[in-house]
Amino acid sequence: MTRQVPVRLFGAFRQGRSDSTLTVEVAPNANVAELRQAMHEALDTDNARSLLKASAFATDSEVLDDSDAVPEREISILPPVCGG
Amino acid sequence: MIHVDISESVLDPLVALDHCAADSHGAADLFIGRVRNLNEGRPVTAVSYDLHPVLCRNVFEKICSEALEQWGEHIHVFLAHRQGRLDVGEASVIAAVSSPHRAHSFEACRYLVEQMKVRAPIWKQEHYVDGDSEWIKGHVLRNPA
Repeated sequence: MTRQVPVRLFGAFRQGRSDSTLTVEVAPNANVAELRQAMHEALDTDNARSLLKASAFATDSEVLDDSDAVPEREISILPPVCGG
Repeated sequence: MIHVDISESVLDPLVALDHCAADSHGAADLFIGRVRNLNEGRPVTAVSYDLHPVLCRNVFEKICSEALEQWGEHIHVFLAHRQGRLDVGEASVIAAVSSPHRAHSFEACRYLVEQMKVRAPIWKQEHYVDGDSEWIKGHVLRNPA
């Protein structure tokens, strides 16, 4: 049994994509490290996979650690930031 | 007193200065970040800002709260950022602080800007004269795997 997790994409993760969400499958009790691995397998370019290593997963309220359980709330993948 | 905003409209510095004012405040500091026409030798025509609106607003509020903790609950702080495509010269970010004396306004305003640069979920894609575009490398929000 697996769980479908839609992940919102931002910044360079949107490069060349028509959609802004990538849905991956993880175990029901997966943590963020396992979500990261699932994303790695789902991404279709070396650049995106390389970017994933330097990116954070987050909810609307906080950045997640790899040891955190994948929350039920909406999840986003955040590449390195550069506001201003 | 805190005001944060994420906007698709032009940022007005007068709104920031209106917020950062009080009879007891003898100083107001205003920072405007603008789109530059050159980056690392490449002529730039515009920048597209992508951001996570809800998390960005939460991070802005956290940064502003930290400024009040550090420089006093009496200061007024303002932090706003644009999203969407901006031409050269347009303001992408405005930070402002008012306080009784200038030192706190200078220091707190710089704190807002520097923290925003490394903590807010904002990304920019530069558009160049030759038609090419590139997402700018930024600050990692977590330790790389």
